Amino acid sequence: MKEERNKGGYIGQAWLVILLALLYGGGLAGVQTALSGRIQQNKKAETYEVIPDLVAGADASRTEELAIRGENGKDSRAYKVFSSDGSHIGWVLPAGGSGFADRIDLLIGLDPEVSTITGLYVLDQKETPGLGDNITTAGFRDRFRNAPTSQPLAVVKADPSRDNEIRALSGATISSESVAAIVNNALANCRGPLQGLTAQAGPERQRLVEPAR
Amino acid sequence: METLTGLILIFISAALINNFVLHYFVGICPFLGVSRRVDTAFGMGCAVTFVISISTMLNWMFTSFILRPGAPLPAWVWRTAGGNPQTQLDLSVLSYIIYIFVIASSVQFVEMYVRKFSPPLYKSFGVFLPLITTNCAILFASLEVLKHMQDPANLWSLPQALTLALGGGIGFTLAISLMAGIREELDLCDVPRPLRGAGIALIVAGIMAMAFMGFTGVEKGVETALTSLLR
Amino acid sequence: MDKEGPTALERFINGVLPENPIYRQLLGMCPTLAVTNAMKPAVTMAAATAFVLICSNIMVSLIRRLLKPHLRILVFTLTIATFVTIADRFLAAYVYDMSKQLGPYVPLIIVNCLIISRAEICASKQGLAVATADGIGMSLGFGLGLASIATVRELLGSGTWFGIHVLPAGWPNWGIMALPPGAFVTLGLLLAVVEWGTRRRAATGIWRTVRMLWSWRHSPASSSSS
Repeated sequence: MKEERNKGGYIGQAWLVILLALLYGGGLAGVQTALSGRIQQNKKAETYEVIPDLVAGADASRTEELAIRGENGKDSRAYKVFSSDGSHIGWVLPAGGSGFADRIDLLIGLDPEVSTITGLYVLDQKETPGLGDNITTAGFRDRFRNAPTSQPLAVVKADPSRDNEIRALSGATISSESVAAIVNNALANCRGPLQGLTAQAGPERQRLVEPAR
Repeated sequence: METLTGLILIFISAALINNFVLHYFVGICPFLGVSRRVDTAFGMGCAVTFVISISTMLNWMFTSFILRPGAPLPAWVWRTAGGNPQTQLDLSVLSYIIYIFVIASSVQFVEMYVRKFSPPLYKSFGVFLPLITTNCAILFASLEVLKHMQDPANLWSLPQALTLALGGGIGFTLAISLMAGIREELDLCDVPRPLRGAGIALIVAGIMAMAFMGFTGVEKGVETALTSLLR
Repeated sequence: MDKEGPTALERFINGVLPENPIYRQLLGMCPTLAVTNAMKPAVTMAAATAFVLICSNIMVSLIRRLLKPHLRILVFTLTIATFVTIADRFLAAYVYDMSKQLGPYVPLIIVNCLIISRAEICASKQGLAVATADGIGMSLGFGLGLASIATVRELLGSGTWFGIHVLPAGWPNWGIMALPPGAFVTLGLLLAVVEWGTRRRAATGIWRTVRMLWSWRHSPASSSSS
């Protein structure tokens, strides 16, 4: 038994493993080459598909992805949205933070001057099924449309009496407050840089790229 | 201080709020199979915690330096070999294979080490050590770390990965010890025959999961408390 | 090394009910509980596992005469991990939403004891036809198990089946079914139903797998397991 193990040395024993490793490695490389394009497309489409819903009149194929430095010093991503005739009609800002149960990831649609919210989309959430997870419904998300960004948004349980108040979801106050807090933090962090970018880009579209991928 | 808050939150999340066994359903096989007595269950939990920490640390290193898109080591090899420095290399397709081999090797090394330096401990572990290789929880910890290594702007550091692993292991130990305590009591009860063994264990696990659901939302509260405390 | 074992047909039938991976062998619990909150993810997971199990059985059966006894677990693991990566990439490319929903549970197929135990017990010892039949039978059994649990959880939890509303609108959705406690309790009760129906205790397949791994490490020249 021991002799069988030492027969042929290490290569003699392990040649099958090495051969299989090479074979599988080649197979995986082939699969990666064939499919990685599609997978990247799918990841991009997740965001790009929703852009027309967030900024009215957008042509998603003309969207530019930019890296911006927020007020907190960290890099984040922003999407500059154009209409089909090439004019800059808004921004889409990804934002995230802690919700009630776990992390919530959002996309916030904004006008070019970053003065109004034009739409909201929930990319990812793990809130309570049936209660917190209604933050994905259009009914809740539409409450954010046309909200001003000059003041932080506040969530109230009754009907909103002021511009910056949003009515909470019944039975999901903390989830609603979390969404508002995420929006407020993202705007506080990125409003300045985005307004600066809008002001800088004159008639010739200036593209600041190191697009994060 | 912000990083310390982050680490505490990761730990609490992995150990209590999103407990690996009762929320993510990983590590169920040993959870059902080894939870008959509290001492064996606790020993299993400790072994799992040890292996999960070592293997997640090693897997973080592999991911950070070799496997993720834009990793430094393949980029250096590519440049030295004269390739175009603009192409971004992505070896992430090999992630799962590397992870499982690192885990299997970690278990091997832990077994050799324990056998050499503490034979009585080795005897008491007995057949549990190979069981750890097929424990979903260990691979799951590495996969969670991988999830946070996708965005080059926001990579998880080694302390964060290690905290997740430790939290997960300790949460697993907690769950399995609690289950063992309950099952020791159940041995004295008159359980209907179809439910004996796995059936009643799963129902008890369901009730435990419901109890642990009470931790939902704690993360937000702790975050607020810590940020105001450390200000 | 070709022993006189069960025929292909016997292996196939065996995998569906008598040695059902979930209800009788108690293998692959992790995906069983995690993805069965609705039918669609359950069926996708069953398909992915079927792909990996059948391909791995075929591959192992083809190379069975070349396996060195003390390196065979290594070869099995390598094969399974490769096929799981391929399955995961295909899911991400063609059904991206489902792939996101399944999340980390697709790569966890690698540590699904079912696949490695089938490779050891059947594929490494018997011919191509038998190994394929075994793979297909076990996959069917696994799929049936997942579908049964998912049906209960989805119907009670949201009144739908495959996303189509089946129960009347007045049904109060049992939210707990979509959450972990519902998963555990459903599986426990269904397991009790199956054991009561067959009047046999489920043999914990996890111990068979463990003994196999243990025997590999401590008597490396022996190719037979428990």
